[in-house]
Amino acid sequence: MTRQAWLGFGFLAPATLFVVAFFLAPVVMTGFFAFTNMSTATGITGGTYRITEGVISRLAGSEDVPAPLIEALGQQQSVVDPTGLAALAQGDFDAAFVAELEEELGGRTFASQRELEGAIRDLDNRPRRVRDIKAAAELFERSVLNVDFATQADFAEAIQAYAGPVPDTAMTALARAAYTGWSMTTDNFSRLFNSPELGTVAVNTVFYIFATLTLFNTGFALVLAITTFYLPSRQASFFRTVWLLPRISPPVLYVLLWKWLAWDTGFLNAVLEPLGVAGRNWMFDSETSAWTFVILINGFVGASMGMIILSSAIRAIPQPILYASAVDGAGRLQQIRHIILPQLRWPLLFITSYQTLSLLTSFEYILLSTDGGPGSTTEVWALAAYHTALRNYAGNLQYGYGAAMALVLVVFGIAMSFVYLRLFNFKALVGRPRIEQ
Amino acid sequence: MDIRIENFTKRFDKTTVIEDLSLTVRDGEMMALLGPSGCGKSTTLFAICGVYTFDEGRLFFGERDVTGLASQKRNVGVVFQSFALYPHLTVAQNIGFPLKVRGESRAEIDRQVRSAAEMVRVPELLDRRPGQLSGGQQQRVALARALIRRPDVLLMDEPLANLDAKLRLDMRTEIRRLQQETGITAILVTHDQVEAMSMCDRIAIMREGRILQIAAPRDMYDRPDDTFVAGFLGNPPINFVETQVVDGHCRTQRDTVRVPLPERLIGLPAGAKLTLGVRPEFVQPSHHTRFTGRITFIESQGREDLFDLELEDGTVLRSIQSVGARVGVGDAVEWGISPHDVLFFDDAGQRL
Repeated sequence: MTRQAWLGFGFLAPATLFVVAFFLAPVVMTGFFAFTNMSTATGITGGTYRITEGVISRLAGSEDVPAPLIEALGQQQSVVDPTGLAALAQGDFDAAFVAELEEELGGRTFASQRELEGAIRDLDNRPRRVRDIKAAAELFERSVLNVDFATQADFAEAIQAYAGPVPDTAMTALARAAYTGWSMTTDNFSRLFNSPELGTVAVNTVFYIFATLTLFNTGFALVLAITTFYLPSRQASFFRTVWLLPRISPPVLYVLLWKWLAWDTGFLNAVLEPLGVAGRNWMFDSETSAWTFVILINGFVGASMGMIILSSAIRAIPQPILYASAVDGAGRLQQIRHIILPQLRWPLLFITSYQTLSLLTSFEYILLSTDGGPGSTTEVWALAAYHTALRNYAGNLQYGYGAAMALVLVVFGIAMSFVYLRLFNFKALVGRPRIEQ
Repeated sequence: MDIRIENFTKRFDKTTVIEDLSLTVRDGEMMALLGPSGCGKSTTLFAICGVYTFDEGRLFFGERDVTGLASQKRNVGVVFQSFALYPHLTVAQNIGFPLKVRGESRAEIDRQVRSAAEMVRVPELLDRRPGQLSGGQQQRVALARALIRRPDVLLMDEPLANLDAKLRLDMRTEIRRLQQETGITAILVTHDQVEAMSMCDRIAIMREGRILQIAAPRDMYDRPDDTFVAGFLGNPPINFVETQVVDGHCRTQRDTVRVPLPERLIGLPAGAKLTLGVRPEFVQPSHHTRFTGRITFIESQGREDLFDLELEDGTVLRSIQSVGARVGVGDAVEWGISPHDVLFFDDAGQRL
């Protein structure tokens, strides 16, 4: 490689590092997490094998693990085995008692410690004190419930020792159920597509994007661009500046102003109460009012970008073409309809696709204003992913499930861009003109 | 329909661009607005079609006062310098646009578009878009669009400026043919004196927002009112020679050129300053009023040769002659001027 090429790489290096560290890596990690069941419960480092009441109840009805085995795992039983007898011999017990116990009860299994204690009481050489009987019976207590095993091999050995031979399929299923760390899975997606709550969230998202986009980001932006085009230049730039303010003010302050406007002792109520309207927090009053605020808050910010792009696109139309349409007899509305709007096709495509994607993924204004409320009426997909993965009431942050939701968002966004390109006939737009003499 | 502009004044902010301009274009006439860039000729055109408003003055199409009318209601056809075709519409839609916004039926638009396209000879291009047309084809489409609703006036703003040299010659005759066939009153704005002279019935020559002279091309060439008009028309340009009156003649200070005064100017006092205007075609080897000079430059134009002659006092005279003179750069020659064709201008530049 030449020196220039190295130099080029050198200059690119900082940008490349940033892109890799702050863009590519998170995307790849999201894609990876989406296929795990990571959560606060599993932790992110690893886990142990442990049979718990929860595992038992989850395994109930499983085809791989036989029901008697499941039942056995759930119980504490007492087994008079050589290990226990050896421990008994070591202990502070009468030798005759040890010998009699081995002879009478050796190899037998009792469903509980209490049953074993009953059997011991029937022995002739039993200890005199009840406490000693209990201590002796305790030595034969056998259970795998709530015991941690570091590896699957240890776990399997303990289960076999406890419950006798277990078929391989049953053991695999058992180990998977008993593992407390995270593991790779596609369950997130089946759960996601079957969740009725997420269905509602999806409908919310579509409504939110469609309403904000049509009413403000393109609709109102278009109205602003066209009206300011026909205004004298000084008034036009005044109006443009006013509509830019929401965009350039800090989001937190901007949303705070909206909250002031809406809440119980806010501006709206101050104005409406003398007119006999009962005071309320308008942002959370009803589903309609919540949506109204969410769309207004986002729309006022979003309209300015469309306004700027469309304004400059209108101004890029050669003046003679507008003159020509005037002398051809086209009134202002006909001029807008036949000359200006067709020229705005490309910028409108750009705004629509760009804003769809940005509305799809950005949730900061909703988070700051309603946070999905009241209830979860204004919960949109990106916000739901955030709540699932990073902040929720239950405290169990489901990283894997949240990542799966985010991945769906990414795939949907890419699909939407292709639809838009097809819809606006992108190839014809960028095609070269054919000039002939 | 004749067009009458009366006392038209136009200001942009505080700059007066046109002051008190009056002009009448007769019915069926083609009038050129000729002048250097910035003289206000395009401003005048845009005011006639209604893109600009009149600050003062009135505008009549026939007997109708259209001063206050919006351009949509004036019924004018305009061909812009850049042609201003609508890039997203086909040729047929471009030509039919004036009818469409007027709400004509589809069949009627179709019929008229077809006949207009045939008139400007582009019937095979109707389905193309402007981006797929050559300059000359765009020009024809722009003409068809301007003419389709039979306007009272056809206005053309430098229609040939964006075409290459050969196409320009073709379109010159083409535009003139269309204008004469339709008998429409037309105004052509141009900075090119050849276009103005070859295409128009009359020329209004403009400078700094005023009309200096209105005349038929031949009259204006032969009898320009002042030195500006004389200098603007003609290529190669006219020679100006500074002289003084001395007993019945006017001569240069060192007597290198001496031209007898015509009878009407005999009465001028001795010592009066005169500027002589001598067109290059009137400087020929055979003419009577002789002078001597040295050839400093020869430019061959094919059919003709162009000579620069430097006189003893440094005055340069330009001569254009049919090919055949056997002289070279540096040769001393004695050539002549045709005294009847000399133009005399006074101190202020007005022709006497």
